[in-house]
Amino acid sequence: MKYEINFTINKEMISLAVIPNKTLLEMIREDLDLTGAKEGCGAGECGACTVLVDGKPVNACLMLAVEADGKEIITVEGLATETELDELQQAFIDHAALQCGYCTPGMIMSGKALLMENPTPTVEEVVDAISGNLCRCTGYKKIVEAIMHVSENNANK
Amino acid sequence: MKDFKYFKPSSLEEASRLLLQYGEAASILNGGTDLIVRMHEGLSHPEAVIDIKGIGGLNEITFDKETGLTIGACVTMKEMEKHPMLLEKYRVLAEACHSVGSCQVRNRATMVGNITNASPLADTATPLLALDAFVQVYASEEGIREISIHDFFVYVRKTCLKAGDIVTGVRIPNYDENVFGHYQKHARRDAVDLSTVCASVVKVGGKIRIALGSVAPTPVRLWQTEAFLEGKSLNPEVIEAAAKIAVGEVNPITDIRATKEYRQEIVGVLVKRGLEEIAK
Ligand SMILES: Cc1cc2nc3c(=O)[nH]c(=O)nc-3n(C[C@H](O)[C@H](O)[C@H](O)COP(=O)(O)OP(=O)(O)OC[C@H]3O[C@@H](n4cnc5c(N)ncnc54)[C@H](O)[C@@H]3O)c2cc1C
Ligand code: FES
Ligand code: FES
Repeated sequence: MKYEINFTINKEMISLAVIPNKTLLEMIREDLDLTGAKEGCGAGECGACTVLVDGKPVNACLMLAVEADGKEIITVEGLATETELDELQQAFIDHAALQCGYCTPGMIMSGKALLMENPTPTVEEVVDAISGNLCRCTGYKKIVEAIMHVSENNANK
Repeated sequence: MKDFKYFKPSSLEEASRLLLQYGEAASILNGGTDLIVRMHEGLSHPEAVIDIKGIGGLNEITFDKETGLTIGACVTMKEMEKHPMLLEKYRVLAEACHSVGSCQVRNRATMVGNITNASPLADTATPLLALDAFVQVYASEEGIREISIHDFFVYVRKTCLKAGDIVTGVRIPNYDENVFGHYQKHARRDAVDLSTVCASVVKVGGKIRIALGSVAPTPVRLWQTEAFLEGKSLNPEVIEAAAKIAVGEVNPITDIRATKEYRQEIVGVLVKRGLEEIAK
């Protein structure tokens, strides 16, 4: 049986019929062709699938697609405008905070969620916010630096 | 994940009726951080998944002096860890919530799901045991009843809940002074790991209370150790002796996270540290 759901993703309204045994991550990647969010572990451990649901970061692999009904979802694809990257995306590039890039969409969404809630986080708060995101190649130092760059910019505004 | 029927009832009556209709084949879905992992791994395959997040009134944290603090079944760990009332009066519980998983997990995971899942290492279980909490349960015939947290856990992954029961919230009595003492989690790494041993060592109403997790089939209160401490002042000899009694009072096993002997050692360390903190 399929279930009718309505939600917004990156500000676009979507109506879709989904099977119940599909995760939010599978729906986003396979039905909506938004392949930024990745599946690393499928079990909540790695954070590669992180998206914002009603402004909060969650593991899209641990949420059913049907649960998205009525929600507002933002994926990494929703951050940039037509012509400009989000400042956090730009900071990741400027600080070389990625290598293979597999963890990057998740890292950016966790960082973004923190900055939306607290525009000027400390290093400790950044480390806490990305503790559910694993990176196996860059190392966390540059990632923390990139997020802190935006934090410091906000403090100087 | 196998196919199933998904329901999102808007009342307790309707949810309970569905639970009774499907019996063993039904699972309640709350934050899903245990259930969806189990379904994904093929450990659970319910025919009916009953999402309780559409039921009104389960999302609140309320406090009054008579009844104490009530936390609704669908309140997330993230909401709890930053709630001003918890931080001020029941800090040990806020700390336990913060120690669970990652931000992403805590934005979905609930305390009620944590205790109902009934893992011996459930991080929020020991503060609730130490604070003499009550679990509020809805059943269609009886309405809402309260079960002492001390009767709630039965065995590994087993609670005293019956078919059709829905936990609506948890109530913690009001204590005149703020609960003193910290939550301690000993795990293999600092972030996003399960407890090897966890402990709530607190002082409430002039009395020391100690509860430990991952040292027996259920989280446990250390009644003997507490009885030993009654009326004693916390000097180094008393603390040392209490830590020894605590080690004898638990019954850990060897598993992938640690050996029995290592856990026993850590029990002594955590109880000692907790008491030293209170003695300061
Ligand atoms: C990556 C990761 C890390 C984790 N780290 C930790 C950790 O550090 N410490 C820890 O303790 N846990 C940890 N967990 C486990 C999990 O997050 C918690 O147990 C969580 O609190 C479960 O709550 P939930 O709302 O997600 O429950 P769900 O998965 O929705 O439900 C759990 C169980 O409880 C039942 N249930 C839920 N609500 C009710 C209700 N109202 N009435 C009756 N039955 C109900 C469900 O049917 C199910 O059997 C982790 C999980 C993941 C995926
Ligand atoms: S894929 Fe979701 S946390 Fe790893
Ligand atoms: S850049 Fe490769 S996993 Fe992080």
